[in-house]
Amino acid sequence: MRRSGGYLLVSLASGIATVLALPLLCVPRLARLWADWHHDRATRLLGTPMASRPAPRAAGRRAWAGPSTGRDLLWLPVNAITGVAFGLTALLCVGNLLPAAVATALWWAFEPEDRPRPFVDVPVTGWATALTLGPLQIILLTTLAYLCFPMMARVHARICLAVLSHSTAEQLADRVAVLTRTRADVLDAHGAELRRIERDLHDGTQARLVAIAMRLAVARQVLSDNPRNEQFLAELLRDAHEGTEEAMTELRGVIRTVYPPILADRGLVGALTAVTARCGVPTRLNIGDIERVPAAVEAVVYFAVAEALTNVTRHSRATTASVRVSRAADRLSVVVTDNGTGGADDRLGTGLAGIRGRVLALDGTVEIDSPAGGPTTITMELLCGS
Amino acid sequence: MRVVIAEDNVLLSTGLELLLNRVGFEIAAIVDDGAGFLAAVRDHRPDVTIVDVRLPPSFRDEGIRAALQARREHPGLPVLVLSQYVEQQYAAELLSTTGGGVGYLLKDRVSRVDEFVDALRRVAAGGTAMDPEVIAQLVQRAGDPIAALTPREREVLALMAQGHDNGTIAGQLVITDNAVHKHIGNIFAKLGLAVSDSGHRRVLAVLTYLNTAGQFDGR
Repeated sequence: MRRSGGYLLVSLASGIATVLALPLLCVPRLARLWADWHHDRATRLLGTPMASRPAPRAAGRRAWAGPSTGRDLLWLPVNAITGVAFGLTALLCVGNLLPAAVATALWWAFEPEDRPRPFVDVPVTGWATALTLGPLQIILLTTLAYLCFPMMARVHARICLAVLSHSTAEQLADRVAVLTRTRADVLDAHGAELRRIERDLHDGTQARLVAIAMRLAVARQVLSDNPRNEQFLAELLRDAHEGTEEAMTELRGVIRTVYPPILADRGLVGALTAVTARCGVPTRLNIGDIERVPAAVEAVVYFAVAEALTNVTRHSRATTASVRVSRAADRLSVVVTDNGTGGADDRLGTGLAGIRGRVLALDGTVEIDSPAGGPTTITMELLCGS
Repeated sequence: MRVVIAEDNVLLSTGLELLLNRVGFEIAAIVDDGAGFLAAVRDHRPDVTIVDVRLPPSFRDEGIRAALQARREHPGLPVLVLSQYVEQQYAAELLSTTGGGVGYLLKDRVSRVDEFVDALRRVAAGGTAMDPEVIAQLVQRAGDPIAALTPREREVLALMAQGHDNGTIAGQLVITDNAVHKHIGNIFAKLGLAVSDSGHRRVLAVLTYLNTAGQFDGR
């Protein structure tokens, strides 16, 4: 009751403020902030998820375009009317509790013509009327407040959301647009990854095997030569041998980038333990119960953490770092922090861009907070499906 | 010298058999999973064992777990672990079991027959054989104190950590035994380690140092 009462009184204040500051609030950006604030408090009151508001920044850039600005402006008169109507009712209800209390206890202290008149205009004539009418008014008003405030607040909040929220169809359209874009990104990233692997194998390992096969073929011919050039033969065999070693090293590198073997062997927890233990800067790993995570997400988390820690070692001049992995419902969040000098920037190295690319490809989000002077925090959120 | 091999890939196990037979090892048994390995070690009491990290049924780190288990059951059992990739974590786990020789090498190293056989003999004799890549990972991670070493001292440190003795280190770097001795003295002084004898304990001291350098005190 107190919460809804507060809500209604604030609505009254905001309704009056809307009328007073109307010219100012017609500026789209301010209208948007004003609407956002109302939307947020309405959502909090109703306890519904916050997702239904269209992204403010996207709309803010094209100020007058889009349906959301229209909604923001429509909200101004609606807020003025509903805020004042609902809020004033609440104020009167609360405001009449005090006169009723005064009427009950202190009626005798007033001159007869100034005596409080509970129930709008019923005169208090003595203790009998004071003790019946006063408490009766208090009880009635309190009951009214208990019964009606939550309802009124919810009605106001619903009107607010009805005006400001996207319709279901609009929300779906938004979601489809986002999914279409991220799906295209995923396919692009996937394709690029396949091409990279193909190129690595084709230009590296495959070429080396061909070169080895050629040396061995020549060596077989040299074997049957007469006289046999022993030194040439030894050279061919040595080159072929070294070639196989190089091919194995390269292949190991390619395999590591496709799917890290430690991840296959030990799962995400074991792999992250290994990667943090390997880091040049002392790194603390804090990993909660993350249950089962899709292999693609595991791989991205592993690469992102490994890359982030490489950056910590190379550039941050940090003395400690930490990796925190936690899961809430289907959302896996990974936070890598260090106490270094900060100033990490996507555009300066490929490392952070690589992290961003991999995470975005799975429809996740990356936030890099790295002011000059430090510290640096990289926050990633990934969906684990359900 | 009798060897038990745990390797599920027939191409590789026959290759190993061919190679080891040629240089005078006797293959007591070739098994293809962890349970089989433990049984073979119990049955044959080999002088040295070779274990692949990935074994059936799950093809994860069964080999490492089997090796650790075997060393718990038979203290001092020499184990050489082979893998397609090296992970410092596994090396640390293998080194945490005490007594007897331990080796951890990339499969690639097998093709350098002399060096591989030398490593296997070292492990059988209770020594250590660590892959240069593991050492590189450790050295890179250990940071500041290592940076105080000269490039030559770092080379000596790496070879020492791999498990080589002074003579081999001198041969590989083409310097005299005396010079190696002097470098080692400097390394131990710079890292603040007590000078130990030239055997397995020295390697362990260096590896333990590299393994713990730069980590939290609490770990």
